[in-house]
Amino acid sequence: MSRRGTVETYTVVHSGSEAFKDQTPYLLAVVKEDGRKRLALIEGYTESTEIRIGMEVEIVTGDGKDNSVYRFI
Amino acid sequence: MRSVSVIGIGETKMGRFPDKSLRDLIQEAGEKAILDAGIERGDIKALYMSNFNAQFLCGQGHIGPLACEALGLGNIPALRVEGACASGSLAFRQALIAVASGLYDVVLVGGVEKMTHRSTEVVTEGIASAADIALEAGLGATFPSLFAMIANRYFHEYGNVRDEMALCAVQNHDNALLNPDAQLHKKITLEQVKNGVRIADPLTVFDCSLVSDGAAFLVLAATDLARAVSRKRVVEVIGCGQAGDTLTLASKRSLTTFDATLHAAAKAYAMAGINPADVGFAEVHDCFTITQLINIEDLGFFQKGKGALAIAQGKTAAKGSIPINLSGGLKAKGHPIGATGLSQIFEVVTQLRGDAGGRQAGNAEIGLTHNIGGTAATCVVNIFRGR
Repeated sequence: MSRRGTVETYTVVHSGSEAFKDQTPYLLAVVKEDGRKRLALIEGYTESTEIRIGMEVEIVTGDGKDNSVYRFI
Repeated sequence: MRSVSVIGIGETKMGRFPDKSLRDLIQEAGEKAILDAGIERGDIKALYMSNFNAQFLCGQGHIGPLACEALGLGNIPALRVEGACASGSLAFRQALIAVASGLYDVVLVGGVEKMTHRSTEVVTEGIASAADIALEAGLGATFPSLFAMIANRYFHEYGNVRDEMALCAVQNHDNALLNPDAQLHKKITLEQVKNGVRIADPLTVFDCSLVSDGAAFLVLAATDLARAVSRKRVVEVIGCGQAGDTLTLASKRSLTTFDATLHAAAKAYAMAGINPADVGFAEVHDCFTITQLINIEDLGFFQKGKGALAIAQGKTAAKGSIPINLSGGLKAKGHPIGATGLSQIFEVVTQLRGDAGGRQAGNAEIGLTHNIGGTAATCVVNIFRGR
């Protein structure tokens, strides 16, 4: 069983800062896991992705970013 | 603690000024404030400067002595205060405490920012340093994206308020038409806001405050002295509250109520001995349209979840029961970050003196300013009364 979290809120970023401007659009979310909320990047966003508050996402491990990256289940 | 009043105000026009240096902006606004106060330069015993990010955007630190030299203030103590977008109000609060304590009779407080000479990406990166650089900015979070997440959560908890958010921008632009210091004098429509260039959904470029150059200064004096010196209506500081919260958005108790605002406002109202209903008009921190909507609820002007209805009913418009951001706000007057909190006070003092011309508030006895830094990790609320 993978570690899973719940989307508390999200946004699709179209205008990024200098370091991220080439990665737009990308999906940021506040994810709640084991009662703790944290900001996270959710991988695999495309224009057709349906996202809603309350949906579950699973953690991406071994990314070197301290487990703040999730993906759709 | 003794009573303190604002006896002098000065600001530059907000905008894009490639030919004006930080020093030029400081001189222009500072000289106006000193002249307005009708005091001698030698009467000023300390200088409190606000600046957010000149070290990154302009390569200039040590703003205190820079301003002191630019204004010919000699060897008085000068320092810089930083608290992201709330820097101006923090400097004001330090100046207020110094005069209230009896340490000084007259002090100058100023704020300055120069931003428009850098690219949007660089400015965005600079502002993002007011978030947690590891946990937020390092993941790609920008301030628009953080407040976009606040907006989407608000929609989830209280219903979709997209139209009313857009109406905040429309009303602030309408107000700015009557403010000669405003950066934008441009009427906009609800549809333009909603169909603007997408920044971070649901926010478009028209939901975001401006990138600006500008400066604002105030002269504070002990009220007893103010009455003897000032030829204008004395504006007394009757309430001041500051509160904080976690730096990161995700760690906050609520994503749709700013606890720092609740605490700062409670302290300011208690100090002033008034209720939210006693406030005639307010300048609130509209870094994004959703922020203005949340602020008017958190300040107690409207019940939680009812801010959108109040906006739709025109209660916060120029002729409404509690006009919000008669100056045009950060959205249309401009947001030169270090100057913003002081420019808000400039507007309230202008209104309380009855000098606001076409944008004069109908009820100008008590005015309030609300200024936040980051995702409301810092908040200062000030309340003023004309005497």
